[in-house]
Formats: sequence, structure tokens, C-alpha cells
Amino acid sequence: MTNPINRRDFLKLASLLPLGVAAPRLLKTFDDPSMQGQPKNVLVIVFDAWSAYNVPLYGYERNTTPNINRLAKQAIRYHNHYAGSDYTTPGTATLLTGVLPWTHRALLGNEEADEYYTTRNLFSALPDHYRIAYTHNKWANTFLRQFHREIDEYIPLDKLMLESYDKIIQQVFRNDEDLSSVSWTRNMRVNDEGYAYSLLLSHLYEDLQAKKIKDLLKLFPRGLPTTGSDNGFIVEQAVDYVAERLRAIPQPFAGYFHFLPPHYPYHTSKEFTDAFLNDGYEPIEKPVDIFGTGGNKNYPLKRRIYDEYILYCDKEFERLYNLLETSGLLENTVIVLTSDHGESFERGLNAHNIDALYQPVIRIPLMIFDPGRTQGMDVYQSTSATDILPTLAHLAGASSPDWTEGTVLPPFSPMPQIPDRNIHVVRGYRIKNGHDPITIGSLIQIRENYKLHYYYGYEQTPGVGVVRLFDVKSDPEEMNDLAKIKRETAAELLDDLKRKLREADEPYRK
Amino acid sequence: MKKLFHFAADRYTKQGLWSLFLMSVFPQHLWTLILVFRDMSWIIKRTNVWDAIGNASYAMVYAFFESVMVFCVLVLMGLITPKRWGVNKRIAFLTVLFLTAAIWGMVSQLLYLWTIWLPQSVLQTIAETGRPLFMLYLISLALVGLTVTLPVFTFLVWKKAIPVTLDFMDRISTLSTLYLFLDVVGLVIVVIRNLS
Repeated sequence: MTNPINRRDFLKLASLLPLGVAAPRLLKTFDDPSMQGQPKNVLVIVFDAWSAYNVPLYGYERNTTPNINRLAKQAIRYHNHYAGSDYTTPGTATLLTGVLPWTHRALLGNEEADEYYTTRNLFSALPDHYRIAYTHNKWANTFLRQFHREIDEYIPLDKLMLESYDKIIQQVFRNDEDLSSVSWTRNMRVNDEGYAYSLLLSHLYEDLQAKKIKDLLKLFPRGLPTTGSDNGFIVEQAVDYVAERLRAIPQPFAGYFHFLPPHYPYHTSKEFTDAFLNDGYEPIEKPVDIFGTGGNKNYPLKRRIYDEYILYCDKEFERLYNLLETSGLLENTVIVLTSDHGESFERGLNAHNIDALYQPVIRIPLMIFDPGRTQGMDVYQSTSATDILPTLAHLAGASSPDWTEGTVLPPFSPMPQIPDRNIHVVRGYRIKNGHDPITIGSLIQIRENYKLHYYYGYEQTPGVGVVRLFDVKSDPEEMNDLAKIKRETAAELLDDLKRKLREADEPYRK
Repeated sequence: MKKLFHFAADRYTKQGLWSLFLMSVFPQHLWTLILVFRDMSWIIKRTNVWDAIGNASYAMVYAFFESVMVFCVLVLMGLITPKRWGVNKRIAFLTVLFLTAAIWGMVSQLLYLWTIWLPQSVLQTIAETGRPLFMLYLISLALVGLTVTLPVFTFLVWKKAIPVTLDFMDRISTLSTLYLFLDVVGLVIVVIRNLS
């Protein structure tokens, strides 16, 4: 028997050694869509007001997302992902512009982002994609309308809403659709809060409305999912429509679909009603915050029906995922599953749009389903909603816009991650509309394990404001304020935060 | 239509209809204003002062339309009252009926606003009957029936009922006129908002 490899062959093979070492890196480069000439489709699915706190994948005791748990085994799961703010307007604007609220300046409810971003946003960053967008949320819809010139197919909000009398009001007052509708709701929806401006007609109106949706109500015993006004909808209809449109439109496409659940009112489907009733879950009791209103009395009930609403989202996400898989679109589509902000049921802080920014209201889920990925991955470093836009641009093969404040997320980033990167969350008010500095604010700075809260300008925070410091790695429930123990760390983070705020406010100082 | 008009003309005077309309305006607008002011700070905090004013304006416009609808219903109801009644008695009677309904509307909402519930012992007793929903409806019906029957009966047997009611209406009419002025202001603001 002769030796299959002689000395000459060995030397030839040895010369290939450097190539062998470099191959994985090289292959990764070829894996980059921009190198393949076939850009991937990108799909952003947003469930509104969905807190990471209530997701078992991130440690929640209730199994609110059995389907997502299973699907996410192949996804990249970001465990410390933060929204730009704590409610729709600033949070969605951050997601769509890739900059923080103190930069895009959509600070108050239903405001548009600064004009500069009308042509600089998620849609403009993907110019070679067919861009399609829809949202159930009126305030998020304000941005889709603002950016409509960059969107190839803008699906009007009403398209996926059920027929209602509210539509008539919106059509009559179409130039002031949001407020007329809010006021109409306050007038007529006596069943939502138990009171309404209208004394008598509201009861008649609710009866008429209930008759219209009698059959659907059997499927939603707590009432139809609504936008808080009359605009009832069912996510099934939206999911079917989205899947159908994605099959029909040209590829590559970039879709942004922002569904309202599990946003209040928490009207889950019959299938999940009372799913967690008497399950024995008991949340940690926390003291009422200085911004808290009332006690924590109703929170167990609210939390339970919110959790049951997440089950509905979970089921519908799985259905969308399966529809995309069946149609073959999943093979070339990156799906980003996330939210615009979280939800709170603790410390007297109800739901969202609250002044105190504890984890439940700002830490949100983020999962990226990358086609071809068979092994899941957990990313524990802190990431921000500002990172979505540059990451999607990168994945779609476009260059990362220079105006975003985010970075390409791991593991996609070709650059090493900054170990002590600062993540910010911003909630701010101005004295007037328009070009004014933020005079009242709730600001968060996260660096490594530390999370600094800074509240200023409120009547609850007279003088220099209130500063809190938590080690969110060892104390994720934020029970032990370290501001007076780790004074140096708190001071360093606070100085840095104030400097950032000054820089952001600079153009707005007279 | 002409017949109906003549039929109505026999039962109402212009002054009487105006008084009845002002009474239709009063409770609805009062309640709307109370809740609008309650919502004011909430809206200012989340959006701005202009939106809070806008919300109040829409609310006043909606309240006006509700008042008109209530007025129409009251006028129609008045047509089935005995013909022998004088206009004043008819107007006063309709006012009593409407005020009773409006007070019930307010009370039912105040129960939510002030989070007033039936005492646990009462709930327990109702639950123990074995037909709790039926019992709740029965109690409600008895309560509402009593609160409607009592003022109507008093109105019919008490001689001073008509002058007292008319006097009350007279006092309220000034406030109602102010509310109507606010409706006009609200309408102007709604128009401005929709033009801009």
C-alpha cells in the first residue's frame, strides 16, 4: 500500500492553510446580502405596548408566548433591548428614524417628527425595496403619513378596521381626525371607563354598536380589540391581509406592520380569556413611586388580562410566520419582532405614558429571525430601538445612514461592539410646541450593568431633580437604589447624561 | 305632515318649546363640562392646550346635537300627553321626566367615577338567591320605577308642582343660554381646527 499523500502534495496542501483559516470569515462576507446581489426582504412586526417583562423568554413566570418561544429557538434574542421612550409617539418615531426622542422631537402625543426626518427614515434607508406599511395605531399612523413619500404602499388605517360609527366622525372631521375621534370616544364610549360625556345617548349608542358586532363579540367576550375609540379590529384580518399583500408585491420588499395589541384595552379572544385565572402567579410587591397614582390594588387583574392579550398576539404572530413559510417568503425574509414601548403594572404606575421609566415600560422584546439560521443566539448586551434602522439597512444590503444614532446590532455588525456603550431612553416635555428645549424630562442612561434614572422639572422633583441608580443585572426589579452608595458612578453617568441633553437641546435654545 | 304640525301646535307654544329646549340643554351640558374639565389636565399633559380646548369644543358640539335629539324626543312624548293639559303643565311634566332620567344617567356614571359598589353583604345575599342577575335586574327596576313614579305622582297631585317646576326652569334658562353660547364658541373652534 502506497502513502496517499507524498511530500509534494503535503506542501501543496499546506499552502492552502491560510485560505482555510480565512475561509469562515470570507464565507461570512459572502453571506452578507450586499455581496450576493439579491437583497433580502425585511419585515418589521411591532406589537404595541409589549413589555419584555411579560415574556417568558426574558424570565417571566407566566407562559404568555408559547409559540414565539418555539419559533425563537432559531432567532437572535436580544435580552436587554430598550425602546426610545415610554409611549407610542416618541417610541415609534425612534424606531422609524433611528434617533432618540431628544433628536427627532416627537415628544408630545400625536406630534410628527422633526421635518428633517420626513426624508430620512426607515423607508428612505431602503430605497431599492418595495416599501409597504400599516398600523392600527393612530399616533403611529401620523408617522406613516409623514413619511408617505418614501413608502410605495401606504395602507390606510381604516383599511383593516371594522365598520363603526367612529369612521363617520373621522370622515366628517378628516382634517382633525385624531382629536375629533378622541372626543367622540369620550362622549360615547360609556362602557369602556364606566362614564362618558353623554348622559343618555351613550347608552343607546353602545347598544347599537354591540348589535353591529354581535357575532364577533362571541369570539371576544371582553369586547373587540379597539384603538380605545370605536375602531374595532381583529388581528386575524390584519395578518391575512398582510400575508396576502406580501405574496403579491414585488421583491425585495420592506414591510412595517404595527399591530395595536397588547395595547389597552386588553380584549383578548375567547380562546385565551381567563387562561391565567387562578394560576397562582404573584408579582413582586413594590413601593408606590413618587409618580405613582393610587395603589397597586387592581394591578393583578390588569396584569392578568394583559398577559392573556399577549397570548392572542403570540398566536397571530405564529400564524403570520406560518403563512410566510408556506408561501416560501421566509427563505429570503428577515423578520424583526419588537415593540414601541412596554407596559407597567407596579409602583402605582399604570400602563404606559407615565413619568417614571422602570424596566417594564421601556425594556421591550427584540427577536430577529434571519433566514437560514438554524441555531438561536442570545445577545445580552444592551441595545436600543435606534439600532433597528441601521441593522435593517445593513441586512438589506444598503449602506447605514449617517444620520442615525444607532449601530448595527450584533451579530451582524462588521465592527466590534463598544463594551461600555451608553443606551438612552428619553421622555420629555416642552413648555410650548415646536422649537423649545426639553424643560421637563425623564431620562435614562444605561451603561453596562448600571441604569441611571434622572427626573427633572416635575412638581414631584423640585430643585435639582431626582436621581436613582440601579444595577439591573444583579437587581433587575430595581429595588435597591444605589445612587447614594455608588456616588461616583451616579455622578459620572449623570454628567454624561446632562451633557447629551444639552447637546440635543442646543439647536432649540433661543 | 301638515296635520302633525297642527296637532303639535295645539299642544305647544313657541315660548313653551324654547323653555323645553333650554331644559334639554342644561343637564347634558353641565355633565359634559364637568367631565371635560376633569380631562383637561390629562390632555394638556399628553398633547397640548390647543388640543384640550379642541376636545372641549368637540364635546360642546356633540352635546348640542344630543340636546337637540333629546328635545325632539321630548316634544314627541308631549304629543301623547292628555290634550286637556295646558302648555305649562305639559312642559313642566316633560321637564320632570327628563330631569329624572338625566339624574339617573349621572348617578350611574358617578358610581363608576367614585368607585361605589354594593356592600359585600348585599352582594352575598343576592348571590345566595341562586338567580343573582335576575335579582339585580329586579332591584334595579324597582329602584328606577320608584324614582320615576314618585316625582310623576307628586307632580300630578301636588298643586304647586307646576309653578315650582316653571320657576326652576326659569332660573336654569340663564345657564342654558350660556351653554348655548359656549356651543357656538366650540363650533367656531371646531371649524378653525378643520380648516387649518
